[in-house]
Amino acid sequence: MKIVVCIKQVPKSDSVKIDPKTNNMIRDNVEGVINPFDKNAIEAALTIRDQLGGEVIILSMGPDSYMSSLRDGLAMGADRAVLLSSRAFGGADTLATGYTISQALKKIGDVDLVLFGRQSVDADTGQVGPIVAQYLDVPQITFVEQLRMIDQHTLIGQRLLDGSTQQVQVTLPAVVTVRAELNTPRYETPVNIQSSFEKNVDVWDEHDIDLDKSRIGQAGSPTVVKRVFAPDKKGRQTKTLNGNAKKAVQELLGQINN
Amino acid sequence: MEQQNIMAAGMLHRMIREFTDNELAPLDMQIDAQGDYPDGLFDKVVNNGLLAITLPKDYGGAAFDYETAAKALHIMAIGNASMAVTLEGHFKTLEQILKYGDQRLKDAYLPSATHRIFAFSQTESSGGSNPKGISTRATRQGDDWIITGDKIMITNGGLAQVYCVLAKTDDDQMGVFLVDQDMPGFSFGKREDFIGLRGTPVGEIVMDHIKVPSYHLLGKVGQGLEIGNNAHDDARILMGAVLTGIMEHELQIAVDYSKQRKALDTPLYELQSIQEKIAEIAIARQNTELLYQHGAQLKLAHQSYAQVAAMTKSYGSRAAVRSGDMALQVLAGYGYSREYPIEHLIRDARAMEIAEGTVERMNGEITLKQINR
Repeated sequence: MKIVVCIKQVPKSDSVKIDPKTNNMIRDNVEGVINPFDKNAIEAALTIRDQLGGEVIILSMGPDSYMSSLRDGLAMGADRAVLLSSRAFGGADTLATGYTISQALKKIGDVDLVLFGRQSVDADTGQVGPIVAQYLDVPQITFVEQLRMIDQHTLIGQRLLDGSTQQVQVTLPAVVTVRAELNTPRYETPVNIQSSFEKNVDVWDEHDIDLDKSRIGQAGSPTVVKRVFAPDKKGRQTKTLNGNAKKAVQELLGQINN
Repeated sequence: MEQQNIMAAGMLHRMIREFTDNELAPLDMQIDAQGDYPDGLFDKVVNNGLLAITLPKDYGGAAFDYETAAKALHIMAIGNASMAVTLEGHFKTLEQILKYGDQRLKDAYLPSATHRIFAFSQTESSGGSNPKGISTRATRQGDDWIITGDKIMITNGGLAQVYCVLAKTDDDQMGVFLVDQDMPGFSFGKREDFIGLRGTPVGEIVMDHIKVPSYHLLGKVGQGLEIGNNAHDDARILMGAVLTGIMEHELQIAVDYSKQRKALDTPLYELQSIQEKIAEIAIARQNTELLYQHGAQLKLAHQSYAQVAAMTKSYGSRAAVRSGDMALQVLAGYGYSREYPIEHLIRDARAMEIAEGTVERMNGEITLKQINR
């Protein structure tokens, strides 16, 4: 099995700030971490590899600073990593990102399974996985909460949707996007942390991959962001109910009923 | 390479923080009340490779240096000091095997140190700081040694599977020998019911004519006391790290409470009497961190570190007990309640005024060094 896990580095959730003047997310000097759902995807890949053998490759697109997240994926136990990094890729929307990643996957070659987290916690679109599936022309299962390999070529994923579940069986190669309910990501281990520095990390730019240059980066991105803004902070009225518990509960119930 | 080491150390410390926050800290109060690790907890420590932090790569370890490992225990002790002390006992023992062990012994035993705890044991009922009075005997029989005796108050006694024991040879010289719980003649005695660090098992082993090959002797006959002292020095650095973690926990509790609690309309932290206590705890925490880091750095630089190691444990243990007392006073009635962990942090810190040599013995060693310099 050759499994590729596509990850995104996102700002650590408690350090996200919006520049009030530009309304853009402040990314300078913000600690980057693996998108949490992508860690579930890595865990799923490692579990399948541990059962069936093969290799797990971490793939990401971003600047050099993304290397730390690739390293984290390797320290969880992945075998090698590829970073797509070039100014030419900058400013890509989900379509251009999906195209670039799908071309990188073709270069990696003979990939049986491509895993994504269901969405990134910073942009929240959930589009890149399905776009990659479309470009590769392979089946996809999104929002997967249970995953079972029937054999080396067949997989059943259970999708968790609003108020329902759906089981989908696909023949590999396929793209799967996973939910947090799927598993608990393993910790990095001390030995794997050290060996992550010995594992191979390839850095590819636009010259290393077969790409239509008009379809990558800003130029290949039809999405226009008109405005990003931080919602006004609305203060909530708070009232402390004093007195003994019984009275406080009665007063609370009275207020709720009103 | 230097940059890589820094990055790897940062990753290790973040991993330890996550592990501690998720697996250890939520069980801290339970571990103290239960007087043991809950079922499965120690397995998580083993399965996540934490026994292998300092072990060289040749034996399947991660080969992190001693300062990095000490910081890992510091972080772990913020969430639970018992488990950090369990690892301290293991790491200091591995250091002695690595430094003094025969290559055959290393090859035979160290690969198993990724999943088996190793312990070092000197103390007998005759006293912990009086190793010359021990009665455990090592008798030569052909190419083998026969070990007989009873060791008590062993950190991780009962949990550990491999023990380095101090014994007297026929010519009344000291030697340290490695024995394995699977050897005929080995049995466990009672476990101590200590008031602090209640997760860390401290127990007894009984050795009845255990036969070990000659290469199970660490170093040479006559080097036993040196190895024992070296084990103490290595342990004291790590204990300084654990004490720093305990003080950090005490500080967090005092700071959080002083922000949330008001005296009349004034938050507690604005009161000078409270500031005095919080500042003292913060300074003591910082001092202990600097001491253990300095000790570890001297060890890494192959310079003498015994004196700094003694200072670390002497200062750190008393500071952590006193810091706990001050934090308790900040919380007043709540601090005195078992609802908050301060009382058990004081009991945990108190153990380290005794273990690995009493504070009085540390201060004796420190004074002698000062007199003779």
